[in-house]
Amino acid sequence: MYLAPDGHEVEIAEAAAAFVAQALPIARLHTPGSADLGQAARQRFAEMGWFALAVPESGGGSGLSAVEHALFFREAGRQCGPVDLLAQCLAANLTGDADIVSGARGVALLVADGEAWRLLGAADSALALLVTPDEALLYPLADATTTSRPALDPANSLAVVSALPDPVERLAGDHIWQLGELGTAAMLLGVAEAALDLIVDYAKIRETFGRKIGSWQAVRHPCADVAVRIEAARAQLWYAAAATKEGRADAATHLDVAKHLANSAALAATDTTIQLHGGIGVTEEHDAHLLLKHALVLSRLFGAKRALLGRVLHAGLED
Amino acid sequence: MDLHYTEADRDFRARAREWLKANVPQTRRPAHGQAGAQFDRDWQRKLHDHGWAGVAWPQEYGGLGLSGLRQVIWYEELARAHAPHHINTTYVALMHAGPTLIARGTPEQKAFHLPRILSGESLWCQGFSEPNAGSDLASIKTRGRIEGDHIVVNGAKMWTTDAQYGDYQELLIRTDPASERHKGLTWVICDMKTPGIDIKPIRTMLQDDHVSMVFYDEVRIPLANVVGEVGKGWSTALATLSFERGLGFIGDQLELYERVNRAIDLAGKTRLEDGRLAIGDDGIAQRLAAIKADCIAIRAMTLADIAETDRTGEPGPKGSMMKLMVTTTHKALSEVVGEILGWSFLEFDGDRIAYPWTYDYLWSWVFSISGGTNEIQREITADRVLGLPKAR
Ligand SMILES: Cc1cc2nc3c(=O)[nH]c(=O)nc-3n(C[C@H](O)[C@H](O)[C@H](O)COP(=O)(O)OP(=O)(O)OC[C@H]3O[C@@H](n4cnc5c(N)ncnc54)[C@H](O)[C@@H]3O)c2cc1C
Repeated sequence: MYLAPDGHEVEIAEAAAAFVAQALPIARLHTPGSADLGQAARQRFAEMGWFALAVPESGGGSGLSAVEHALFFREAGRQCGPVDLLAQCLAANLTGDADIVSGARGVALLVADGEAWRLLGAADSALALLVTPDEALLYPLADATTTSRPALDPANSLAVVSALPDPVERLAGDHIWQLGELGTAAMLLGVAEAALDLIVDYAKIRETFGRKIGSWQAVRHPCADVAVRIEAARAQLWYAAAATKEGRADAATHLDVAKHLANSAALAATDTTIQLHGGIGVTEEHDAHLLLKHALVLSRLFGAKRALLGRVLHAGLED
Repeated sequence: MDLHYTEADRDFRARAREWLKANVPQTRRPAHGQAGAQFDRDWQRKLHDHGWAGVAWPQEYGGLGLSGLRQVIWYEELARAHAPHHINTTYVALMHAGPTLIARGTPEQKAFHLPRILSGESLWCQGFSEPNAGSDLASIKTRGRIEGDHIVVNGAKMWTTDAQYGDYQELLIRTDPASERHKGLTWVICDMKTPGIDIKPIRTMLQDDHVSMVFYDEVRIPLANVVGEVGKGWSTALATLSFERGLGFIGDQLELYERVNRAIDLAGKTRLEDGRLAIGDDGIAQRLAAIKADCIAIRAMTLADIAETDRTGEPGPKGSMMKLMVTTTHKALSEVVGEILGWSFLEFDGDRIAYPWTYDYLWSWVFSISGGTNEIQREITADRVLGLPKAR
């Protein structure tokens, strides 16, 4: 039993951190029009095999597991990686289609919203993926009716889809849902960690009344509280990733708990980081708001609060 | 202890309601730029021309000289009539620059500025904070060197709201180079058209550019523009802050109740992701009810505070508690509305009128940081209301 990245997992996490920071640095989001993955970045991620970590080698993937998948998306979260990065990866796991694994065809994510759907990702993506706990469906986007909407989160384009054609691919079961839930929880953990890092670094240099602000209890205590929430979210994420990898019967519950903990850690960390930066925290040029806005989107994907807690209430665990 | 409005109070409310109903602009305020500031000036001029300007100002300076209670009635009616938000580009002038001049200005300063403020002709902005002086305002470094009958200013201010639209600025500078902290400061009226002033807007996470950094390069300000005494600016600044922290947010305090009711209406017609109406969700309904209860109590706090101020003649130390109560309630309300609205809450293009709830949500941080952060308000409450030993 070991519940932290170990051996080759550490190497993968380090490689992912370096690659994402270089290919998709969070700073890109201070330039308008930087939403979504885009064709060039998509192909670079594909060449490095990042979409297919958990795809079996027979299907053109790396044959790794949910654990490496989670490690990668945590690093993506730290840079506010767009949602279609996850959609592309999930579609690769769904079909193993060479054009998807290679990044030649882009995939956006669909989410049910009342009678319609929300689309996250480029409206000119070839495909759109809809995932529920029971099945995963892939639609050709060219035949859908979409209306674009202004997005609060600059990392993703947002649109409303009012009509969908027949799906081109359908997979029953919860495999894709689990990878999606794990991936978003991991991204939220990355967002939370990045937010905490920002304020911890700043509290060590900013001075008021002749002291570093990190020495005021009004600053250090909320930072410590957030650190505790992150510690809990991280431990649960690793547990859920290992349970998913091992196909344990209670993996779904651990994933729900991991997603819930990650939702609340990210929202608490981004709130705290903005507040404790003072005025500079509300400026566009600071990264804090990018993390907040991204957390709001991710917290609604693959299990928003009510659905998660509804399932957790009566769930049981294995030894 | 009683809750009686006099006949005259009721009559005032009826007149205000009637006038507002007929006169509240039907057009939207432009979200950005000079057009927005012009909209505010026009509305202020209309209030002025019809005898509604300067509700809190003494009559001898052209105001209505209303008691605190009447001011509450006025702001309640403004909120009810969906009138233009009073925190707009006229806010600094009406809520704290004017009152500072009334309290500390020279007869000439009053005669020149007060009528222009009331009529919407002059807009003001506040130049107190600097890049390295926010919570710790006494550490400001912008310098003023006295040369003959002028002060020559060099340095930089940060976070000046509406600097681009302001005709004048409340400017706090260090005139004694050897001084430290609260000593050696001076409060001057700075004409924003003076040569040497450079305004650089700062874009915020609300996608607006209402705050700016302001640079001063050999800016010459007549000594006649000093409010209070040279070297005694801290005292004048405290007066300004007391107006800002006293009744400065009264409109927001009262508007919250309108807003929570709007949120409850919204919950009654918006479906959650599971298809149920939001109001049918126990968690949401209870949170809304608890927030509504807080809003009702905020109204009681406001009235208690205002009646006390009417009696004693000066605002007490409770403004900090009020700001904490209002900012935390405002944020809790924005968060629950975020859950009710689901995905549409995540649509935003910077227009506060088209996306009011998302704007309010983002604004909740501006509210809990600007005008003294919530952490500092807690410090003030602990120091001045509770008398605890000081940490600073
Ligand atoms: C949108 C906006 C509009 C503004 N408009 C104006 C304006 O028009 N004119 C003007 O003069 N100013 C304005 N301000 C400035 C505002 O007053 C300051 O931002 C605020 O006082 C905080 O100062 P700071 O940003 O320097 O943060 P800092 O003082 O650096 O504080 C950073 C963090 O440390 C905390 N902290 C600092 N010291 C202590 C302590 N002793 N104990 C506990 N916690 C502490 C703070 O609460 C904060 O969370 C505006 C600010 C904003 C964001």
